[in-house]
Amino acid sequence: MNESPWRGSRALSIVLVAGVALLQACVTSRVEDSREGLTGISSDESVVIMAKSYHVGNETEDNYITCIEDALARGKNGLNVIPHKQFVDALFPWFEPRTAPADTRGLPALMERPGVADKIEEQGVRYIIWLDGDTDKVAGGGSLSCAAGPGGGGCFGFAWWQKDADYSASVWDLEGLESAGTVSADVSGTSFLPALVVPIPLIARTQAAACKGLASQLRIFIVADEEAT
Amino acid sequence: MTTQFRKFLTGVFIALIASGCGSNVRLDPPTIPKPLVDTLPLHVGLRIPNEFQSFRHTEEVIGNEEWSIDLGRSNAVFFEQLFGYLFSEVTILGPDEDASAMTLDALVEPSIDAFEFSVPTQSKTDAFAVWIRYRLKVFDANGRQIGNWPVSAYGKSQATTFSGDEALQRAAVLAMRDAAALMIFRFDPDRFMKRLSGEGEPLEGDDESTATVTAAGEQGGSNE
Repeated sequence: MNESPWRGSRALSIVLVAGVALLQACVTSRVEDSREGLTGISSDESVVIMAKSYHVGNETEDNYITCIEDALARGKNGLNVIPHKQFVDALFPWFEPRTAPADTRGLPALMERPGVADKIEEQGVRYIIWLDGDTDKVAGGGSLSCAAGPGGGGCFGFAWWQKDADYSASVWDLEGLESAGTVSADVSGTSFLPALVVPIPLIARTQAAACKGLASQLRIFIVADEEAT
Repeated sequence: MTTQFRKFLTGVFIALIASGCGSNVRLDPPTIPKPLVDTLPLHVGLRIPNEFQSFRHTEEVIGNEEWSIDLGRSNAVFFEQLFGYLFSEVTILGPDEDASAMTLDALVEPSIDAFEFSVPTQSKTDAFAVWIRYRLKVFDANGRQIGNWPVSAYGKSQATTFSGDEALQRAAVLAMRDAAALMIFRFDPDRFMKRLSGEGEPLEGDDESTATVTAAGEQGGSNE
């Protein structure tokens, strides 16, 4: 009896879907916010995402900043996001790692500097979001060895590693020159690499989860009050 | 196998090994954004030393890994751009040019006191870092030295985001931007004008730590 070609391809699809699902290891995440003031944003206002200074030991990755920018701007309810490099260049040198204000108390003096308030208004920036934190490998273990010979090759063993992604975002409201609050994301994930001839990576996408969680919460944090009023 | 072919293979092999033991990075002159400052109506001479036309620094790190960075004309371009933004008229002078024949309000002679960088294998992090300590000597219209100002700058870039070469280039550019930011931040036009007219305190005596603390302190500290 001939087997239907559809049955074969469906089985292959199921195996692929199951495979992809299996290749995602688990992550645990906690996202919180702490509000200090009312927020809200209009369609002609924008936000800018910045990393806190490396002069004080912050190591927020550039690709994480870009990920948050993209996630906030995405979708039909996306926010207007000014790329951080464009903002920093336009306001040079007042948002360089050395010169950027440490807290909102430095904002009034900054706004008094020649051209600063005009440039911020020109770009429609309502909120500056300062990111702090990074993704670190905190543990790992196991052993994996690979060998190859004339008859072929393969790997055998098991390795694992755990990564923690801890980020916090301080939201500054430039309308009132005050802090609106903070949003934080704490994500932990363990990746596994079992190998029985062929290594099968089960990767926990810790940083991506922290990006998605923080961006979603930031969007709610910024627009929520406007929707409520 | 001919001897020549064998030599060629040996050369390729050595080149492959050498390429795995470090890197040579060349920096294109950076572009400093136009700063948000008021331009001072002064005619300033900027003496560019020979080392600013071609600057190369090499670091030998753990495991005989050798990294070198060629800044080329980057320092010259950086200072020309920055001073062009700060003063209404800037005349570029060569190392041996006589400034006394010119009608200048001030003459500035920048130099490099120290240049260092670190790569991930040294710092045990993912980051490349560059430190540059510039020194600016300032003279008034009569050729009297009125300032001697060290400027310590720092730039850091992650190798996880950029390739090693790009990360080192970016760290060097960030260090130059940091120097520009510090110079602008600490530059007091009133004090400078007073010194040019023979009044006020000398524009000197700031050691590196003071420079950093002052720069951070005036605006409430670096971003924390």
